[in-house]
Amino acid sequence: MSAVLEVSNLRKSFGGITAVNDVSFDVREGEILGIIGPNGSGKSTLFNCVLGQLMPNAGEVRVDGKATTGMRPCDLNRLGVSRTFQLLQVFPQLSVRDNLILAGQEHRGSMLSRLFGKSDAGLGDAARKMIDFFQLSHLSDEQAGALSYGQQKLLDAAMAFMAGPRLVLLDEPAGGVNLTMLAHLRERLRAYHAERHATFVVIEHQMEFVMALCTRVLVLAEGHIIAQGAPQDIRRNPAVIEAYLGGQSA
Amino acid sequence: MASFIQLLVSGLATGAIYALVAVGFSLLWQTSQTINFAQGEFVMLPAFFILAAMSAGAPFWLAVLIGIALSVVVLGWLFKVVIVDPMLIYGVLPLVISTIALSLFLKEAAKDFYSAQAQPFPTLVPATDLEVFGAVVSTQSLAVLLVAIVTVVALHLLLHKTRLGRSMQATAQNPTLARILGIPVQRMVLYTFLLNGVLVAIASILITPIYLAKFTNGEVLGMAAFLAAIIGGFNQVRGAILGGLILGVLDNLSAVYISSQYRGAFPLLILIAVILLRPHGLLGRAEERSV
Amino acid sequence: MNRLGAIALGAATILAIVAPFFLRRYGIYLISMWAVLTIAAIGLNLTLGYAGQVSLAQGAFVGIGAYTVALLTQAGWPYPAAFVCAGALCFAIGWCLGYPALRVQHHYLAFVTLAFTTLVFLVLRNEEWLTNGIYGITGTARPVLFGWSTGSALDFYFFCLGMLAVLAAATWWMLRSPWGRAFLALRENPLRALSLGLDTRRYTLMAFALGSSLGGMAGALYAPLVQFIEPNSFGLGMSFNLLLMVIVGGSGYFFGPFIGALVAVLLPEWTRFTEGYYLLLYAALVMALMAFCPSGLLGLVERVSKAMTRRAPPPSKMRAEGTNP
Repeated sequence: MSAVLEVSNLRKSFGGITAVNDVSFDVREGEILGIIGPNGSGKSTLFNCVLGQLMPNAGEVRVDGKATTGMRPCDLNRLGVSRTFQLLQVFPQLSVRDNLILAGQEHRGSMLSRLFGKSDAGLGDAARKMIDFFQLSHLSDEQAGALSYGQQKLLDAAMAFMAGPRLVLLDEPAGGVNLTMLAHLRERLRAYHAERHATFVVIEHQMEFVMALCTRVLVLAEGHIIAQGAPQDIRRNPAVIEAYLGGQSA
Repeated sequence: MASFIQLLVSGLATGAIYALVAVGFSLLWQTSQTINFAQGEFVMLPAFFILAAMSAGAPFWLAVLIGIALSVVVLGWLFKVVIVDPMLIYGVLPLVISTIALSLFLKEAAKDFYSAQAQPFPTLVPATDLEVFGAVVSTQSLAVLLVAIVTVVALHLLLHKTRLGRSMQATAQNPTLARILGIPVQRMVLYTFLLNGVLVAIASILITPIYLAKFTNGEVLGMAAFLAAIIGGFNQVRGAILGGLILGVLDNLSAVYISSQYRGAFPLLILIAVILLRPHGLLGRAEERSV
Repeated sequence: MNRLGAIALGAATILAIVAPFFLRRYGIYLISMWAVLTIAAIGLNLTLGYAGQVSLAQGAFVGIGAYTVALLTQAGWPYPAAFVCAGALCFAIGWCLGYPALRVQHHYLAFVTLAFTTLVFLVLRNEEWLTNGIYGITGTARPVLFGWSTGSALDFYFFCLGMLAVLAAATWWMLRSPWGRAFLALRENPLRALSLGLDTRRYTLMAFALGSSLGGMAGALYAPLVQFIEPNSFGLGMSFNLLLMVIVGGSGYFFGPFIGALVAVLLPEWTRFTEGYYLLLYAALVMALMAFCPSGLLGLVERVSKAMTRRAPPPSKMRAEGTNP
């Protein structure tokens, strides 16, 4: 299996603080990789470097073999890399359906052709299917801002999937979601993964979510990778337990 | 050569004034996201405060003190409390619009409540000429240069050698970090506004004898502030100073060596060139991409 | 658009068509000016309200459009060709101007457009061989279209009104397309939009270029309306005026420019008694408006109508939530 994502010797410092220190890892096609670590371990910075939100000081990021270090997020997205956000980032004034059409429209034809094409960029059916998949059908015409927190999280994931990405990076998808919705979200993510053979990378704090969803886990602490392997092994790893001392443990 | 020195000296003098205005402008931008489009009018106004005080009977030196005090209170504190703070909640764009409206308001207020005519303004020193290396240089230029240099040096000492100044700089460069380090960020921001009030007042006193007190002064001076700050690199105080000096010298040189009709064009073209080739300015640090 | 809005629009349209018959010459001139300035304001609204960029060059683009049409028709070009040329030229200039400025952040476009406006003024004033300098250009001919002469005040007003309708409809159509959705995303959450593949830079540039083009087209109507154009009319003053129009009407609202332009055209007339203090009043009003309701008059209307028709929260909100952030 080829590597969808390759991160090599990535380093990012802010002034005197090195948030990500010489981190390297691969993500193979079809994997669900979980990245965990205590607060301040550099997970978010790592994510932002991969996604083009931050420019790393050193190192390289490759998607499907193509160098993408420092590429603009919109160009990265067009290569098939998608993301969800830790803090909710749906478009509150648009309807659920419009949010999804927006999520897919930039992948349909050129900017000019979109001006002269249909108002929904031909995505009406695809949007409906995605809404049904996430069981949000009764909310299709509601303003996204009126949805509950958990529903917006589902919408966020739906938007990330809309353009049929190769690689999806999920930033703390479980944050602030109640248990029922959490189970539903996890189940939908697994279903999507199975159906589309997608590749996921998940940053999470909540151990249970990670253990139940991920096929492989990577542990960051203070900017370094301190362990990687199958979830059950990570759970028992003494270095990991120590890094998490005082925090949420397995 | 002689006339070149003349131009250089007067250019540096004007440039130093631009530098003061540009520094205030860029400090406001850095510390509180305030892009003050009324900065030019802020320089125009203190002269009118002083003239009003003088016509109420105060001697020049007292009027100057009153002018500086009024500038600090009205253009510093009041500006922050009445306009900037309430607007920032809505975002940077509404604040920008407000300062644009403010610049119009101040301009019209000066025109309507004082005079639409250009008013003479007392110089700091009696206007005589000196000979330096065969060039004729006015004492006024030298006085302006002296005062401006002293102010810039004092500013530099304040910002780099005092604890207060370093706190202000920290607040300008990274407010979140500054807060974590225990710096009272809100108070530092207030000080920046008050400092700007002082800087624009000094600039006003220095430049108005040359330009005369006109309600339209703000347009030119504001533009000079923006250009200097951007060309020099507004995320460094040194950049604003350098930008101001360059602008002043170029302005004077281009009036003579390039057609005086297009005198104003040269700095504008430089602005466009800087934005195209080196957007963070000559001395600015390349900024972290945020989007 | 809700029922009340549709009624208001209908009434306004009827008023726009019927009013000139009850007005004298100066009144017809005023409403023609309203129509022309609304076109320029619609353009600026695209740039400011939809793409969130401050442009201080809209006045300069009106000037470029006006001079283009004045000079070309003088040289014998038919008016429609000159009109299109004005729009195309301003689009191209807008694109070239915006391209470097929008590659960086921090509202650099505001400064670049400020510099540009001054440059345009200098060129218009100095290049007398082309523009006649400060003496200006008089007597730009009003077009004859398919046999209909727009020479009279009334006829020209209907021509301006017609152009306004056409250009407003085109803008409306554009905003209904995926581009409209993209602009909204750009305004609401550019970070998210980027992560969805939306090239925020390209769309912002497009909004600015289109906005500038509309400014040029407004200028193309301005020249034959006013019959005397000179460099001073198109400086920062007009740019500020247009900016305030968009803000007062409500930036980002489709009909904001219409209302803003109306206020800008009528205010000097109504405040004649204040003897020239009207700009001061205007600026003070704008600052007060920004403090109280930054989304302008239409924003105020929306706020009031929302308060009056407060709905019951949708059922989805009433479901019990477990953990909340």
